[in-house]
Amino acid sequence: MGALPKVFAQNQLRRSPIYRLTQAAGAFCEVINSGAVPMHYGNSDSELDRARRMAIADLSGLPRTGFKGTGTVDWLAGQGLTIGPDSNMAYRQDGGALAARLAPTEIFLIDGLEATGALIDRLNGAWNWGTEKPRKLIGYPMPRQDSHAWFMITGDAAPDMFAKICGVDLRPHKFAPGRIAQTSLAKMSGIVIRDDRGAIPAFHLLADVASAEYLWGAVLDAMSEFGGAPVGLQALRRLGEVPS
Amino acid sequence: MKVMNCPLNGPRNISEFVWGGEVKPMPDETKLSDREWAEYVFLENNTAGVVREWWCHVPTSFWFIAERNTVTDEIVKTYPASEVFKARVDFAPKSERAKP
Amino acid sequence: MNAPVSYGGMNRLPNRGQFIDRSKPVTFSFEGAFVEGYEGDTIASALAANGQWIVSRSFKYHRPRGVLTMVGQDANTLVQVAEEPNCLADKRKIAPGLVVEGQNYFGSFESDSGRFVEWVSKFLPVGFYYKTFHEKRASWKFWEPIVRKMAGLGKIDPHAHHGYYDKQYLFADVAVIGGGPAGMAAAIEAAKAGGEVILIDENPKLGGCLNYARFDESGEAACKAEGDLLNAVQAASNIRVMTDAVVSGLFADNWIPVIRGNRFYKLRAKAVVVATGSIEQPAVFRNNDLPGIMLGSAAQRLIHFYGVRPGKKAVILTANDDGYAQAIDLLKIGAEVAAVVDLREVPPVTPLSFAVRKASIPVLAGHAIQEAYHHNKEHVVGVAVAPIVAEGQLGDPTASYDCDLVCMSVGYSPAAHLLLQAGAKFAYSTETAMFHPAQIPAGLYAAGSVGGVFDLDRVRADGARAGWAAAKQAGLSVGAEPVTPGDTQDRNQTHPWPIFPHAKGGEFVDFDEDLKYADLINGIADGFDNVELLKRYSTVGMGPSQGKHSAVAAVRIVARETGRDLATLTVTTQRPPYTPEKFGHLAGRIFDPERRTAMHHRHLELGAQMMPAGIWWRPAYYGPKAEREKAIREEVLAVRNNVGLIDVSTLGGLDVRGPDAAEFLNRMYTFTYAKLAIGKSRYVLMTDQAGVITDDGVACRFSEEHFYVTATTSGVDAVYRSMLQWNAQWRLDVDVANVTAAYAGVNIAGPKSRAVLQKVCTDIDLSSEAFPYLGVRMGTVAGIPARLLRVGFVGELGYEIHVPYGFGEALWDALMEAGAGDNIRPFGVEAQRVLRLEKGHIIVSQDTDGLTNVWEADMPWALAKTKPFFVGGRSTQIMAKMPLIRKLVGFTLDDPSLPCPEECHLVIRQGEIVGRVTSAVRSPNLGKVVGLAYVHPDDAEPDAKIAIKVDGGRMIEARVVALPFYDSAAKRQEM
Repeated sequence: MGALPKVFAQNQLRRSPIYRLTQAAGAFCEVINSGAVPMHYGNSDSELDRARRMAIADLSGLPRTGFKGTGTVDWLAGQGLTIGPDSNMAYRQDGGALAARLAPTEIFLIDGLEATGALIDRLNGAWNWGTEKPRKLIGYPMPRQDSHAWFMITGDAAPDMFAKICGVDLRPHKFAPGRIAQTSLAKMSGIVIRDDRGAIPAFHLLADVASAEYLWGAVLDAMSEFGGAPVGLQALRRLGEVPS
Repeated sequence: MKVMNCPLNGPRNISEFVWGGEVKPMPDETKLSDREWAEYVFLENNTAGVVREWWCHVPTSFWFIAERNTVTDEIVKTYPASEVFKARVDFAPKSERAKP
Repeated sequence: MNAPVSYGGMNRLPNRGQFIDRSKPVTFSFEGAFVEGYEGDTIASALAANGQWIVSRSFKYHRPRGVLTMVGQDANTLVQVAEEPNCLADKRKIAPGLVVEGQNYFGSFESDSGRFVEWVSKFLPVGFYYKTFHEKRASWKFWEPIVRKMAGLGKIDPHAHHGYYDKQYLFADVAVIGGGPAGMAAAIEAAKAGGEVILIDENPKLGGCLNYARFDESGEAACKAEGDLLNAVQAASNIRVMTDAVVSGLFADNWIPVIRGNRFYKLRAKAVVVATGSIEQPAVFRNNDLPGIMLGSAAQRLIHFYGVRPGKKAVILTANDDGYAQAIDLLKIGAEVAAVVDLREVPPVTPLSFAVRKASIPVLAGHAIQEAYHHNKEHVVGVAVAPIVAEGQLGDPTASYDCDLVCMSVGYSPAAHLLLQAGAKFAYSTETAMFHPAQIPAGLYAAGSVGGVFDLDRVRADGARAGWAAAKQAGLSVGAEPVTPGDTQDRNQTHPWPIFPHAKGGEFVDFDEDLKYADLINGIADGFDNVELLKRYSTVGMGPSQGKHSAVAAVRIVARETGRDLATLTVTTQRPPYTPEKFGHLAGRIFDPERRTAMHHRHLELGAQMMPAGIWWRPAYYGPKAEREKAIREEVLAVRNNVGLIDVSTLGGLDVRGPDAAEFLNRMYTFTYAKLAIGKSRYVLMTDQAGVITDDGVACRFSEEHFYVTATTSGVDAVYRSMLQWNAQWRLDVDVANVTAAYAGVNIAGPKSRAVLQKVCTDIDLSSEAFPYLGVRMGTVAGIPARLLRVGFVGELGYEIHVPYGFGEALWDALMEAGAGDNIRPFGVEAQRVLRLEKGHIIVSQDTDGLTNVWEADMPWALAKTKPFFVGGRSTQIMAKMPLIRKLVGFTLDDPSLPCPEECHLVIRQGEIVGRVTSAVRSPNLGKVVGLAYVHPDDAEPDAKIAIKVDGGRMIEARVVALPFYDSAAKRQEM
């Protein structure tokens, strides 16, 4: 791991809602998507171990978007996305992004951990009101980059940790990869998407951006009995590569 | 804590839901006397037995309809509102309507 | 071999005590004295091992009390552990340094001056509270200090530290509550179907009665059964065992609270087997509450759990085979059994009773204990025994025995609490003299002695049957149904009338509440002859153990006294929790979500005093608390005369898009939006179906099919939900998105706001011609994509700038920097309230309430006249024809010496309340008090005089004035 140039979140235009907390925890960041993303906290190897056991990462800086309303899924299919018929399932796209179908006409799109932003930028650029009369209904863009904070929770203990904050059974044999739970977490609404990294259970957690500091603290507290702590994006990327 | 089956999200703790009143389709307000309108707004049947109610799954803001037995507190069934409200509702312009 | 052996107390037995670890001595203190026990000991077992039998004192009479059950089912052993009151000494494990004290005594524990109460107990009759305080309120003044000092359990330390408690969800196909032979057999059978089984027991080890009870002379039956069952449980990988875990309730849809340590588990199971066993019942006789008199099962628990000798010489009072088993247990530890007193006229000869007789122990059939003797009430020293001549009636005593232990083993009552809570019905059987489940809700299954089954083999079969049925109910694929014996209820377990009143009284029916036989008789005589009424009147069953030992006796007494058939009566309603639970468990790790705007930390850095707005935090004002008034005043003046910046991120934001967007807003709000020009905004006012004002904001039209609608901070979630509910019925082609948190927002306001904004906003022409008042634009500010709204809430030239949340802090920084040369000043909610009040703008839910309609709020200008429909329209129309009851007006105080009224001060007219003040402030700009108030409609015209009742009941005069108070030509906001 090469030393990263010191990047300060507050020098960027776009800031994670919890940048003060990751910075205080010693995050080393990289600029992605015009925001600072914590890549590691000083020791990537121990973070890899931690990610296998119990960890949380702040991915709020990574690209995401969403579309909703009549015509959404047809339009996205026309844009080359593969979206299955079931709601509350997430569908992997070429390039790694995940299209989470929250409802028959609602898609929350999160980038893969390589975070190229390619698909998301293209879709954001492609959507417009158009000039046809009557207008073809293609859904409406949603400000998903900003409405939700995005954390990833990984490790074998993750289901037990979730059981401390969430009433939905997220254990691996009850909550298959790709499944989505839109539910209450630590008394606030959130979206959980199972997206394992290699053989390690992993979950995206998307929740109200304005409560991000609260939720980060609540999750850290819940995972402390399992030795959980923050890890950077690098550990998550390695988790996907290295057979564990 | 009871469990309610959300048509979109499946069975969930009842704490994830809020109640939205009995399902009572709105009458044509132009055809009712003031008293009849007031009764529609303020009076509820409070049936002892199976009632149809609006419920909303809060994390998804998804409204649906539940049939619940108010005597046994049993939730008989749940289904999307579109099974009851199938067609667009329009209101005739005022000029075309009779004075109440 | 020669290492010193500590027996952990004079009553400690060698080679017994499966819960204790003799290699780990533990020292704690009780009443200031050091006590040694072993790891695994409870407070009560360690005290008993050391000869300390008085554990606590009773609630009312402060009588010395000792162990009764040794399993936490009674209130005799409530002790204070450091700062924690009401700990069950027979459940609470000892730990090094634990500081334990008795409860309910004055003076010293050993010599409690409160015991005089019993001498005057005739002055504390049953129904004391009812009789003393009914229609005699003054007497409370006399009694209160006495009652407060006497009653109450333990000492509360208001400075006690907060322990860490939390909660966790658990999921299972089958939950089995109770880890005795029935529960283990049920779990084993259910697990065969392959599902997830959870087996829960409140003891440190599975086994239930197999851990202490004796089913044959050698003890092999229990030992073998336990070994078999434990092995099978262990072998089943799909059984999760939770010991030391208490199920405190059983709720709808199999929702099961399980308390273990400091964690509260919330278990959801598809089916539940309740194998909670039964609770041994005490006999009622004179002085039956003395230390040294305990349930037979308690004596066995002392021996087998903790290796503690319960006494040296025992008398056993029994009505079943278990009493004989206890005699054998006592003989095996070298204790003497003075006599077995059997209530039954002709006890059946069983292997156990034969073994007892063989040991030459006198057995007195058809006899009972007439009275227990004591030394200074501190311990039992002997009993008098008399023949039973009729139900509950004894002849003259025929024998007396010295003893230091009395075991009571006269019968059982099902531990039915969980089943009853879940809605099961139990009925009394005169054949078994017990209550039995008559009706159990679907998804629940009773197994073992809670269902009246006591024979060990039949208990196991009954457990297997229940486990199989539960697995089937849970949707698992089960094998063939296990064979069950037909009639399983045991008839020789429980005596129908183990109650023996004595001429001198002192026969305790309810140990918790210190209720004696006569108290119940008197309560019934006072007319409270229904079990539920008698419970309230006498408090029987209302103590910490919730009638576990008194409810059945009370029912029996009521039945006999009122001549009713027991089979027609039920025990009083059982409510959760099964055992007392702590607030800490209920609270858990309190989840208290809060919302912070993107600029939250900037406010803190600027010294803001934050205030809650719903679950949001907002700056109230900037500066130290001591300078609140000054800060607010300066912030107000900065906006009026210069430029200020306020965080308005908490304001609700809804994107309403689609071909029917305008039609939808027409239906949801009172105004009309179809013809609103793109790039313009318009006020929105929402009413509900009853015509009550529920929210307001502005609708900004960014394109033909796109409106951005603001809503109040506290109202937006309800507004959004209501919109979705209405459109589920109307099915218009419109999409509503709640984007409140996605956008951070500021309002830069004041005469210099344009000049400041211009420095960082170059792609929008900000001139008043190009971007007039009420205009809305999209563009960039400091390179950040932004929605700009010219609004007039504070009544000055101003721009609301809404940007994606992630950019909120950068936007704030950019504007503060751009305005630095002009001394831009951040302002908070307090200053904004003053500013808007000067402009006469209402705040929905502050200046309106749950009844305010458009006419009362004097806002008919916000009603569209011609559109076909809006929610609340018809009701608003009807109310227009009705006489107005009150009206919201502006007022001022002409006399500058008068105090500023506060919110909710009353408006009085001819001695009647006609309204209230909703907002009032001393305006820094106007130099006088201005406010809004509901007044009588006849006083609503300018210059009418109204009377406001302010603090201290003082009446002050105010004058109604036209709104707004400030800049009535509205020139400033349109600059």
